[in-house]
Amino acid sequence: MLRSDQILATVEMIQKENLDVRTVTMGISLLDCRGRDIDETCSRIEQKIARLAGEFVSTCDLVSRRLGIPIVNKRISITPIALVGAGFERGDFVQLAISLDRVAGQVGVDILGGFSAQVEKGMTTTDREYIASIPEALAATERVCASINIGSSQKGINMDALDMVGRTVKELAEMTRDQGGFGAAKFVVFCNQPGDNPFMAGAIHGVEEAEAVLNVGVSGPGVIARALERLIATAGAENLRLDDLAEEIKQTTFRVTRCGELVGRQVSKALGIEFGVVDLSLAPTPTIGDSVGEILQILGVDAIGAPGSTAILAMLNDAVKKGGLFASKTVGGLSGAFIPVMEDALLAEAVGRDELCLEKLEAMTCVCSVGLDMVAIPGSVDAETISAIIADEMALGMINNKTTAARLIPVPGKEAGDHVSFGGLFGASPIMPVRNVGKSSRFIAWGGRMPAPIHSFKN
Amino acid sequence: MERQMIISVMSKDRPGIIADVTGAIFELDGDLADLNQSVLCGYLTMILIATFKNTITPEDVIAKLSHTKSDIKFDAIVKVMDTPIEMMQAQLPEKTYILTAQGKNQHGLVYGISSFCYQRNINIMDLATTLADDQYTMILQLDLSSIASIKEVRDDLDAYAKKTGLRVVLQHNDIFRVTNEISMK
Repeated sequence: MLRSDQILATVEMIQKENLDVRTVTMGISLLDCRGRDIDETCSRIEQKIARLAGEFVSTCDLVSRRLGIPIVNKRISITPIALVGAGFERGDFVQLAISLDRVAGQVGVDILGGFSAQVEKGMTTTDREYIASIPEALAATERVCASINIGSSQKGINMDALDMVGRTVKELAEMTRDQGGFGAAKFVVFCNQPGDNPFMAGAIHGVEEAEAVLNVGVSGPGVIARALERLIATAGAENLRLDDLAEEIKQTTFRVTRCGELVGRQVSKALGIEFGVVDLSLAPTPTIGDSVGEILQILGVDAIGAPGSTAILAMLNDAVKKGGLFASKTVGGLSGAFIPVMEDALLAEAVGRDELCLEKLEAMTCVCSVGLDMVAIPGSVDAETISAIIADEMALGMINNKTTAARLIPVPGKEAGDHVSFGGLFGASPIMPVRNVGKSSRFIAWGGRMPAPIHSFKN
Repeated sequence: MERQMIISVMSKDRPGIIADVTGAIFELDGDLADLNQSVLCGYLTMILIATFKNTITPEDVIAKLSHTKSDIKFDAIVKVMDTPIEMMQAQLPEKTYILTAQGKNQHGLVYGISSFCYQRNINIMDLATTLADDQYTMILQLDLSSIASIKEVRDDLDAYAKKTGLRVVLQHNDIFRVTNEISMK
């Protein structure tokens, strides 16, 4: 048998620190679902998802019970829909979204991602129709999430698409005005979007992927926070230095990732579907004690956003990767710490206290994944300013060869300091002020493309 | 022909016990297969498996062991194994679970939890307990092969924990393996 202390350490992790598997996401290729018309295509898509994912949720529940580890979310990602719907028009894409929403409900998943397009270099006629459909498609559905990749380190940034997504975000929020602009929380804009990310709203099943795969997202930041607290309590803060804390994060991540790998492999074996990757991201939830912000506080800043926050986040992100990489056969997806403001209770509080501003948040996204995520801004901010905020975030990803994303919610009728709540996993937060509104429209109006950076020319 | 014997030894701990016992086996031309020993509060207990020629009997082994030259003698039991060792060293059952139970020390804790297992035909494969301050910790490795519904056992355990005031956790053995070992086979 194993050593008693090892067993007790693992029990602590599971019981007191809420170890769970954050998400198991089934990626499904829909490239073979194209029919003669929209009705036949929808019908084929529904049949394929129902066939492959029919037993998905019940199998996850079975493995979860057997191992005694909760699997919090069961989700589906699909081939970017603009590829499946080539030649279709705006109304057809809305119909596709409704069809996807229906089958997602039927198989019992709460979110389906991949209502997406990849337009980092240019847009086809279909891509434009797809983008035009997003506000209506997301307003008409519950479970469907949309994402669009408008930039990459290889190809630069598509500024025409950037202009369109700023307006899309505004329209989405307006169409879901009665829900505080919730529609915008289901739409995320990427640079360097990975095709195997299990986390929503940005999960897609990339064209490079197999017929169907299972990707796993590991447990949240609560486990890391509790492990650090325990180390500090037992060893004494005066006897610890920063590298000791980094080591603790690394070792804890190893254990957490191993649990994710075990669960993923067992679900994959039971369903007969290929195991894809473990995504090593620390994804917070609005639950108390499950916050990335809390880790920053434990590691030494009294206010999140205070000088030092970026440095701590950089160390945290790196230690998580180092611990997780060795624990899993295949690591992928986003793999880093998330700082989604509305979904992280302490980050949201820091916004309310004016300790965390948009510019500091942007700086912090340089050293972690994924970007300006779940940031509620005043509904009065214009589309061009939103596009420009997204442009800055895309540039960070493009130049630094990393994934960045933006999920901004211009809450209709609310101003900085007001409060918005979406409930559940989507959380709540005060509205974050945006400075220099309306001063970037000449930049956005250029359109065209921002050329790929010099370091993309490696051939 | 050969036969395998299981030998159990108990003694007050002193230097040389393992040398004495394995020396006796060596002199009888026996081959040591597996050995497990543990010391608790100054007393040693050891269980080992050895292969002898068919002409050697358990009585011969006992006689040889009793010829050790030491003031502290040990008690020994020797039995012939009825199942070959190769068959006994199979992998852990698929439904191997680890049960941990912690709480304030009191009479009958191990009896209580082991009776719980016995009533449900759960075999305890390994058990370790520690007492620190007044907190008692029991760690049991269990074979739940005969259990149809893990959920039912968990529900029963929850009720048991509530009744006794123990903190009881049941997790699959694989969880502990993958979080503490490098290899993930």
